[in-house]
Amino acid sequence: MDVSQYLEIFIDETSEHIQSLSDNIMALESEPDNKDVVNEIFRAAHSLKGMAGTMGFKRMQHMTHDMENVFQEVRNDTIKVDSDMIDLLFQCLDAIEGYLAIIKETSDEGTNDNEAIIQKLNGFLKSAEDGAAAKNAPAGETAPAENASEVGKKKFLSLDLEEKDKKKLRDAFDAGQKVYGMTVYICKDCLLKAARAFLVFKAVEEFAEIAVYVPSSQDIEDEKFENDFSIFFTTEASLDKVVGAAKSVSEIEDVVADEISEEMLEETVAEAAPAAVQTEEKAPVAAAVPAAAPAKSAASSSSAAPKKQAGKPVTSRTVRVDIEKLDALMNQVSELIIAKNSLVSLSSNNGAGMQNQSYQEQIEYLERITTGLHESVMKVRMVPIESVVNKFPRMIRDLSRNLNKKMELYMTGEETELDRTVVDQIGDPLQHLLRNSADHGLESAEVRKERGKPETGTITLNAFQEGNNVIIEVGDDGNGIDTEAVKAKAIERGLVTPEQAENLSQKEIIDFLFMPSFSMAKKITDISGRGVGLDVVKSNIEALGGDVEVKSVYGEGSTFTVRLPLTLAIIQALMVIIGDEKYAISLGSIVSIEDIPLSDIKYVEAKEVINMRGTVIPIIRLNQLLDIAPPEEELESLTIVIISKGEKQVGLVVDDLMGQQEIVIKSLGSFIDNSTKIISGATILGDGEVALILDVNTLM
Amino acid sequence: MAAYIENNSSDVAEEKKQFIAVKLSSEIYGIDIGYVDTIVRMQKITRVPKAQSYFKGVINLRGEIVPVMSIRLKMGFEDDVFTNTSRIIILKIEDQGKLGVIVDEVKEVVNLGENEIDKPSHDAKENKHSFINGIGKNGDELISLFDINAMTEEN
Repeated sequence: MDVSQYLEIFIDETSEHIQSLSDNIMALESEPDNKDVVNEIFRAAHSLKGMAGTMGFKRMQHMTHDMENVFQEVRNDTIKVDSDMIDLLFQCLDAIEGYLAIIKETSDEGTNDNEAIIQKLNGFLKSAEDGAAAKNAPAGETAPAENASEVGKKKFLSLDLEEKDKKKLRDAFDAGQKVYGMTVYICKDCLLKAARAFLVFKAVEEFAEIAVYVPSSQDIEDEKFENDFSIFFTTEASLDKVVGAAKSVSEIEDVVADEISEEMLEETVAEAAPAAVQTEEKAPVAAAVPAAAPAKSAASSSSAAPKKQAGKPVTSRTVRVDIEKLDALMNQVSELIIAKNSLVSLSSNNGAGMQNQSYQEQIEYLERITTGLHESVMKVRMVPIESVVNKFPRMIRDLSRNLNKKMELYMTGEETELDRTVVDQIGDPLQHLLRNSADHGLESAEVRKERGKPETGTITLNAFQEGNNVIIEVGDDGNGIDTEAVKAKAIERGLVTPEQAENLSQKEIIDFLFMPSFSMAKKITDISGRGVGLDVVKSNIEALGGDVEVKSVYGEGSTFTVRLPLTLAIIQALMVIIGDEKYAISLGSIVSIEDIPLSDIKYVEAKEVINMRGTVIPIIRLNQLLDIAPPEEELESLTIVIISKGEKQVGLVVDDLMGQQEIVIKSLGSFIDNSTKIISGATILGDGEVALILDVNTLM
Repeated sequence: MAAYIENNSSDVAEEKKQFIAVKLSSEIYGIDIGYVDTIVRMQKITRVPKAQSYFKGVINLRGEIVPVMSIRLKMGFEDDVFTNTSRIIILKIEDQGKLGVIVDEVKEVVNLGENEIDKPSHDAKENKHSFINGIGKNGDELISLFDINAMTEEN
């Protein structure tokens, strides 16, 4: 059976299971006696084993198999969880992740056997052997107790077999063999149904000979079946053994089987014949009327049974889509919006023929639809940052051990959503910042004690949405940035003269930290200090259209604030006119638009400011900033667009307003020097003209 | 004699390169046709503040934003005067995308064989020569062949 088509699903699922393992092992460390957690780990390891086996990744299967065995013993209370074991489990996880990384690149698991880890795992098992006799039955999910539903679940009893299949079974009876029927139920959320079925067949065939498949083996391979399938087989072995083998396949919800007699074979046919009319299925899976009802209730009762569902992550109804397809969809929506914008501008500019009211209404309708469509596509592309940040607790735990510092990571807002492309690329910068906090930020236990801080350092990661941006703050209650030391370093490296350094603001000094190869670490460690760090963080985040800021109080800690745009492609913008040029300002940054009489403009330190309801706001004349000739006659009042970033506000003086518009962001390309970053891109207006997009975040 | 010429030209034809001959001021320049994506009429160019002085801005090329450069300014000539014959030649540069360059006039497509291209006479005093990597001889006419890579690099 060709499994390559399942590779992507395998990679996705494996990553999910690894994450679940990681979370649960962390949880296990804090509460080693929690049976739910142990069960969850067991289940994840078990699923991993099954999947690796299906895909033919023997080494990965071996490793997860041994992990599963260890947990089997933990479940049986023959092994106690201790910190050695947790460490070993994390090593296993790293090894599995290693396999996965190789699989991603080469579709093969590589050749690393990770003998050492497996031996250690087996060491745990040996110590457990005295504890209890290993149970024979593979760690199956316990079969439902209800006998009544058991009967209903035996679908094989009511199947309408084809004549040739019946003949096969009759032949078996004639040969004096014992014939059994079996119905296998696969978990409803299972993605690799065909692969699971295939595994069940393989398992069963070890002990038995399968005579009849319902639906046909071809249909099963093509996944043309619901959540269950039935087989008829002959075997010399005990039924329990065969059922056990079938149940050992992961994501199998239940297996029911029984011996069948020759009379039963004839009966099922008679009984099923009238019922066949009622079934909608094309496949010859016809449930007899009396059997159908209990079967249904069995299904619902088993899904309602809390025992089965306990601790199992609730999988939502999802479709996995290649991100490239979403990109293509997004591009087409962008084109549609541009086309819509040109219709709008045609209708507002052109002569009387277009001014027809129903035409206007239709244009407005079209506008609503395209806006809705854009929002939907955007939402589809949004994923919670959870997938990135949930590896951090583990990382902090490891750092805590390596650095020999006690620290605790507190995270909030993991559910905050961002565009998938942004989420994919935000992991590394955040990791850098956290490492930075753990290594440079937090002081050693002694220093902390001296300063009257709790021995355990606190690192926080908070994510939340603010207007059109998502803010992620990484903070610590550690040392803070020693601006004097940074200043000295900057002078030492010849970046500033001592005289210049005297006049630098705190912000300007901190900005040195973001310069390439400016490392403050006294010694180079694994974690940081190689001088590749903050500058990479900054450029990575800027590449995503975001920015990063630091606030720090020496002795009390630092907070890095990462600001990211919610979406990359389409924004709502205010179009403004300066001179004879048109610019777009993202609506998300705009607080208000004010008409200010010239006389209200005051000067502070020779800079123009306005006093807005008690707040003094500096103003920027965009025509000066953008090298545009000022209007010929000075007006009596100025149109000022107030923008904000965090708590900071700035007023931008524009000549005129064009109105609000949905714009598609396009890049200026790599030829034009845009080192000032004032322009974040360009957009095409309805009349085909190009307008530039101002990145107002750079103005504050 | 006739047979000889035919033979000779067909030999060379395999190595012949095509250039678009364009006019800038009074000189004729050649642009390797392999780099040329399309040629468009002069249209509204949106200025980009703080860009290099030789960038005129960006245009909308069928929904795509393309930066437009003035070869004249890049080479240190006086600024362009747009006329009816002015054109923007859209070049496609590997890995860097599209780039428009402004020319006074597009003349023709010329075929030049290896033996019709001379090495440029390097004159260190004149900066513009660094954008030229060959002199083509098209009959009596001399064509300065642009070194596209040098032209698209920063000054």
